[in-house]
Amino acid sequence: MATPRGRGTEIMSDARDVILGRVERALRTARIPAAITHEDADRDGSGDPEQVALPGVALPRTSLQERFVLEARALGVEIYVEPTRAAVCDRLRTLVAGLRVLSWNPTLLPYGCGAIVDGALLGSSPTAEQARAEIGVTACHGAIAETGSLALIAGPGCSPTVSLLPPVHVAIVRPEDLFESMGGFLDARAEAMTQSANCTFVTGPSRTGDIELSLTIGVHGPGRVAIVFGPSELRMKNSRSTNSSS
Amino acid sequence: MSGGFAERARDALGNRQLHIALDRTTAQLGLRRATGLASLERSDAVRDRARAAKMQVLRTLPDSLRQFEARLVENGARVHWADTTADANRIIVDIAMTAGVRRVAKSKSMVSEETHLNGAFERAGIAVVETDLGEYIVQLADDRPSHIIAPIIHMTREQVGRVMEQRLHVPYSDDTQTLARYARERLRDEFLRADMGLTGANFGVVENGTICLVTNEGNGRMVTTLPRVHVALMGIEKLVPTMADLDRLLKLLARSATGQKLTAYTTLVRGPRRSRDECGPEEMHVVLLDNGRSRILAGETAEILGCIRCGACLNACPVYRSVGGHAYGDVYPGPVGAIVTPGIRGLAPFAELPSASSLCGACREVCPVRLDIPRMLLALRREAVERTPQPAALRLGLKVFARVASRPRVYRVAAAFVRRMLRGRARGGWIRRAPGMASGWTRFRDLKAPAAETFESAWRRRAAAARKS
Repeated sequence: MATPRGRGTEIMSDARDVILGRVERALRTARIPAAITHEDADRDGSGDPEQVALPGVALPRTSLQERFVLEARALGVEIYVEPTRAAVCDRLRTLVAGLRVLSWNPTLLPYGCGAIVDGALLGSSPTAEQARAEIGVTACHGAIAETGSLALIAGPGCSPTVSLLPPVHVAIVRPEDLFESMGGFLDARAEAMTQSANCTFVTGPSRTGDIELSLTIGVHGPGRVAIVFGPSELRMKNSRSTNSSS
Repeated sequence: MSGGFAERARDALGNRQLHIALDRTTAQLGLRRATGLASLERSDAVRDRARAAKMQVLRTLPDSLRQFEARLVENGARVHWADTTADANRIIVDIAMTAGVRRVAKSKSMVSEETHLNGAFERAGIAVVETDLGEYIVQLADDRPSHIIAPIIHMTREQVGRVMEQRLHVPYSDDTQTLARYARERLRDEFLRADMGLTGANFGVVENGTICLVTNEGNGRMVTTLPRVHVALMGIEKLVPTMADLDRLLKLLARSATGQKLTAYTTLVRGPRRSRDECGPEEMHVVLLDNGRSRILAGETAEILGCIRCGACLNACPVYRSVGGHAYGDVYPGPVGAIVTPGIRGLAPFAELPSASSLCGACREVCPVRLDIPRMLLALRREAVERTPQPAALRLGLKVFARVASRPRVYRVAAAFVRRMLRGRARGGWIRRAPGMASGWTRFRDLKAPAAETFESAWRRRAAAARKS
C-alpha cells in the first residue's frame, strides 16, 4: 500500500503538515462566495444546462466527420477524405514520398498503411535519429469533432515523438475514431488513459502569437499537419464495438 | 521596493513604444476572446459549472490536496511540499543535483517566475533555458514578462528582432516567421540535450492525479517527452475535482486567453514513463507551492485562488491597457495581479495596487470563472487604509467635514463658499489647477466647474413656481 508521500518527501514532511494545517485553519475564515448561477435551463427542469443536443439524439457519423473537417481546416490542417483502402495507401505514399519517415509501429496503422512505412524510423530508434525525420506517421485514438483535435495516447508503438519531432505530421484516421467532444472521449477512453503516462490532444499545427499576436506556424512541433480519412470499416466487421461518444 | 505603482505607471504612460505594442495587442485579444466565447454553446452554464468546480476545490482544499498527492504517488510521481519560494527552489535544485542534471529546459511557468527559479539553477551551476518563444526572448533580453499569456506583449517585433540579432548573432529581421525559426533552431538542440524538463501545471486533477499542460508551440510536449526528469511546479490552488471539470475548464481557458477553442497541444501527464514506453521521463516530481496562498485563502480574497491565468482581465482592464504589466511591479500583472501580488508578497509594499483600478467591472465581466475582482479590490483597499495610520490633517479634515455635513445650515454656507471660490478659478467651465487639498485631483485631470446653482436650490425654485401656478 502506497503511503500518501513520495520518496523525496521525508525531509519535507514538516512542510506538508505545516501547509495542510494552515490551509485547514484558513478555511475557517475563508470568504468563498457561492456561485452566481445562470443555469436557466434548470428552471423548467429540462435537465443539464450544458447539454444542447436533444437528449438521445447523437449526430450521425457523417455529420461528425463534416464538423471535424470544418474545424480542422479552419486551423490550417490539410484534410484528405479517401473512399477506399487503396486510395488511403496511395495518399500516404504520395505524402511520404522521398522523405525520411518516423512512424508509429506499422502494425498499428489502419487500412494496411503499415506496408508503406516499412523500414521507417520508429519510436524505439535513437532520439537523435528520430529528430532528423522529415515526416511523422500516426493513427489516432480519437478525433474530436467539436475542436478538430486528434487524441494520441502514448504507449508501446505509439511514441509521442512521432507527432512532435518531424516538421510534418500525417495521421490516418478512421470514421470510427470520431467523437463529438473531448468530454465524450475522456469518458469512453478513461481506462486506456489510466494505462498511459501521456495523452495529448493535437489541435492544428504548432503555433505562436507571442510576437505582436502575429500568427506564426511551426514553432517547436510540426508546422504542417495532414489528416487522411479512410472509409468506414464498420460494415466489414459488423459486430465490432464502435467509438460512440454517447 | 524602489518606486511605487504611480511612478512606474507614469513612466509607462510616457513610453511610446509600449503604447504602440499594447495598442496592437490588448484590443485584439479582447476581440478574440469575445469571438471564442461566442462559439461555446451555453457558455453561461459552462462558466457557472467551472466556477463551482474551482470553488469546490477551495472549500475542500486539504482533502483535495491529500487525495491528489495519493493519486500522484500511485501514478509513480514523487510529491514535494514547499512552504516558500526558497523552499521550492531548494527542492528542485536538489532533485536536479541528485539526478545529475546539467541542463534544464523549461516550458512556460508563472510559478517559476514567482520563485525566481532560473537564478537558483544558475547559482547551482545548472544551465536553464526558457523554451516558450516569448519567455525565451524575455530571457535573452534579461527582461521580465508583462502579460500572463503573452510575455512580450510590451515589445514590438522590431525590438524582438534587435534582441535576437544581438544575443544570437543572427541577421536582423522583423518578420515573425523568421524570428520564430531562429528560436526553433536554437531550442531544438536544447530540448534534445536537456536532462530535466521543468513545467508548471494548468490544472491538477484530484480524482486521478493528472497534470494538464497546454501550449501552442509544442514546448510543453517537448519538455515532458524528451528529458529524463520531469518536474512540475504548481501552486496548491491549481486543482480541479474531476476530469469532467477539467473538460469544462479547458473549454474556457483557450477561448478566454486567445479565442482558440482549444490550445494546439493539450497534454495530460500521468506519472513517469510506463515500463514498455519508448520515451518519456524516467522520474517525475510534482512540487506543491504554498507561498502565501494559504494566507490568501484565510481572508476576503480567497476567491482569487480560483483564477485559471487566462489573462482575459488584463486585456479588458483600461488601466492595464494604458500602463502595461511591468507597472504592477511583480510577476502577476493586471486586475488579478492587483489581488494576488499583495496576497503572496504582503500588502504593505503593494498597497497601491488595489487602487490601480477604476472598478469599472470589465474584469469581472470577462472572467471565465466569474471572479468578483472589484469586490476583492475594495476589500484590499479597506484593509490597506485600516492598516496605515492616516495623516493627522486628513483625520482632522474628515472630522470637520463630518460636523459640517451633519449641520444643514452650516453645510449650505460652506458649500456656497467653496462653489463661489471654484467658479472664480474656472476658465471656460473647467478648472486647471485647484487650490489646497483639491490640487491632488487637478494634478492629473481637469475639474469641471460647479454649476451656478445647486440642485437643491433649483428644486426649491421649481417647487415654488409650481405652487404659484
